[in-house]
Amino acid sequence: MLLEADDVTMAFGSFRAVSGASLALDEGEIIGLIGPNGAGKSTFFNCLAGDMVPTGGRIVFAGADMTRASPEAHARAGIGRTFQVPTTFEDMTILENVMVGAFLRHPRRADAHEHARRIVEMTGLKDQAGQRARTLGTPGRKRLEIARVLATGPRLMLLDEALAGLTPAELQQAIALVRQIHATGVTLVIVEHIMEVIMTLTQRVLVFNQGHVIASGKPDAVVKETAVIEAYLGHGRRKRRP
Amino acid sequence: MKTGTLVLAVALLAYPFVLYDHFYWDIGVGLLLAAISASAWNIVGGYAGQVSVGHAMFFGIGAYVPLLVFNLWQLPPIAGAPLAVALSLVLAVVIGLPTFRLRGHYFSMATIAVAELIRIFIGTWDFVGAAIGLQGPAVGRGWWDLTFRSELPYYYIFLVVLAVLLYVTRAVEKSRFGYYLRAIKAGERAARSLGVPVQQTKLKALLLSAVFTSIAGSLYSIKTGFIDPESGFGILISVQMVIVAALGGAGTLYGPLVGALILVPAQTATNTWFGGGGSGLTYILYGGIILVLARFEPGGLHELWQRLAPRLRRTPRAA
Repeated sequence: MLLEADDVTMAFGSFRAVSGASLALDEGEIIGLIGPNGAGKSTFFNCLAGDMVPTGGRIVFAGADMTRASPEAHARAGIGRTFQVPTTFEDMTILENVMVGAFLRHPRRADAHEHARRIVEMTGLKDQAGQRARTLGTPGRKRLEIARVLATGPRLMLLDEALAGLTPAELQQAIALVRQIHATGVTLVIVEHIMEVIMTLTQRVLVFNQGHVIASGKPDAVVKETAVIEAYLGHGRRKRRP
Repeated sequence: MKTGTLVLAVALLAYPFVLYDHFYWDIGVGLLLAAISASAWNIVGGYAGQVSVGHAMFFGIGAYVPLLVFNLWQLPPIAGAPLAVALSLVLAVVIGLPTFRLRGHYFSMATIAVAELIRIFIGTWDFVGAAIGLQGPAVGRGWWDLTFRSELPYYYIFLVVLAVLLYVTRAVEKSRFGYYLRAIKAGERAARSLGVPVQQTKLKALLLSAVFTSIAGSLYSIKTGFIDPESGFGILISVQMVIVAALGGAGTLYGPLVGALILVPAQTATNTWFGGGGSGLTYILYGGIILVLARFEPGGLHELWQRLAPRLRRTPRAA
């Protein structure tokens, strides 16, 4: 077991954004977290990434208790994350952005530079490597975020809507990139609204609604469950005519 | 060494011989002191984006301790400089440890408050001369007192210190530490998610900055042979560091030096033209620069140059 989140609860005062969510993740899996807006998936995601300390429950990664660990400790342990709104370092070049991540496992500048260069090439940013991050559009920024996390050498990558806002062509390229990353042995947790991404990439999904996990399983089976349909579309009243 | 750096180095080395006059040497010394102070501030304020508005506390400690060791034990003032550095480091830890745990402007607020508290305290403490301040040796007892009649030796001593500081800053820029500082400035949350030890990195930057600011203070008091609360810990000392660095380009290697090259002669000019009555113009000058920078060019002259240079290169030559 690579990651085990057990009965995770995140309360803000009397409001429970996440209520008793659990997740067990094996090395090499790709799982998706889905649910309507405000369902609690991003809060749960932030707890897994160390950005929030859950008010209840326990998170164990590779045998180590990470429940109260800092984001830095998560990165050192091998958990990398992207942000829903890309947070690239605007005044640094693309290569420098990636080097910040690379320094985690390669303290010497020359080694970090070489590692970052390889990652930039792998993620298709080679031609823009010398440009400032602020010159990139949305697809480029999302790609750069992935590259930066990849440079930290993660065992688990948490992608927070990393593929949102892309054109169909860009989406296909991004899906191919995620597959490529997975092929290198990285385990992935993906928060995504685009069902194409969920159905294409993930082996298993967890569906959140009102802070609870209401369903889990294979994507094609889960999307047919009544509870999931109702979470997205609301409770319909069927009237049968006699 | 790049051509620009070489030209700058030669110009600074040759300056006292090109403008062979005490008046210009004095401006040169003031310019170098402003460049050293602002470059020291730049490490934490420019590169890490942790804006200290109370760096005068380190400058003041650096200025007071050398004259204090002279007054207490008749030691050469320069002997007090290492002690001043040590005290500045302690103060940096005391301020940095609690405030760097928090995001936002807590650090800036803490630096203003502590610097003002120290200034008021020093102004009432007889042990350090209270409001009157301290004096250094009136006549040098030997070269080790560093009391020269001419500004020329001070000019070259200050130039060496600036060169060392710029060399250290350049090394920081190229190192992991430098990348981490820039990442923190750009986005603390993202930096942490990449494993950057944010609090520790910011504290290191403050310590390094405090060391050189303290040295700048020591150089100042050793040269002038006098220090009082206002010239050591005054808010204007801190503000000048911020403005000099911001004018040239905070977070860049030569930004503070460029800022000093413009601001110090401008200050001298206003003081010369308007005499004693023009001393208040310094405040107006600082205020004007803050307004212009905030409104039009927050990145300073360096950013402006970065934007204009490609256009100038593209300008077609006349046929």
